[in-house]
Amino acid sequence: MTNEELITYFDEQLFLPDLKATSKDELFEEIVDQFVKIKYLKNREILLDMLRRREQLGSTGIGKNVAIPHGRTTSASDVMIAFGKSKQGIEYNSVDNKPVNLVFMIIAPPQDENNIYLPILGKMVEILNKSKTRSKLMEAETYEEFIDIILKG
Amino acid sequence: MEKSQLELLVALQDLDMMIEEISEVKRLGFSAEREEELRKAREELANKIKKPLVYSYEKLKKRYKRAIVPVGEDNTCLGCFIKLPTSLSSIGRTDAEVIYCEGCGRILYWLS
Repeated sequence: MTNEELITYFDEQLFLPDLKATSKDELFEEIVDQFVKIKYLKNREILLDMLRRREQLGSTGIGKNVAIPHGRTTSASDVMIAFGKSKQGIEYNSVDNKPVNLVFMIIAPPQDENNIYLPILGKMVEILNKSKTRSKLMEAETYEEFIDIILKG
Repeated sequence: MEKSQLELLVALQDLDMMIEEISEVKRLGFSAEREEELRKAREELANKIKKPLVYSYEKLKKRYKRAIVPVGEDNTCLGCFIKLPTSLSSIGRTDAEVIYCEGCGRILYWLS
């Protein structure tokens, strides 16, 4: 997957540069409510359940202040990615126990025609492994700046 | 509010998809070490669903991989693409009943 392909899955309405949440549960609710608000989802509880179950398996806080909560759900019609940023940091029980400042929530339907969910997940991990990209993302104020960073990431 | 049988089935399918992809997400570097705990949660969830529904879900899963399929905006089963009768539309739907596609037999889930 190229960065050019990846950016086609982002949506300005799912760009949340000032998250209010301070805990993992609040974070999931804040982002899922945005999915519901823009009508990508009708049943928030089903998605919240799936995300919480995923954390039961192991934390999606991958360290270095980044979390990538993810999963497939029958309640989604398309692959969707939300980006959120928290200045104050979110308690997340990450693998390195550090609070989370950058969040990418990746949701996929049961079957995606081109099977792009796992490549997207892999690409996000690759991009977020670069410390320069993480620092730039922390500074991004607009959706255009954000997309530019992902393109060059 | 208590979840309907259909909502529980959807949660079961979501959990099954998660279990299926554990090795792939591990390969990508994600933490996924508590597989046993997840399998236990799966069993507990299945126990909350009426047995005939669980049997039917398992049978459909074996046959099609995904037992529950979404219904498209044009009221089409996205499993076999048959147009569903107008009596089965999303209008007023509350997910209270479990409805099977007349074409392929999969369980239908309206997204809107």
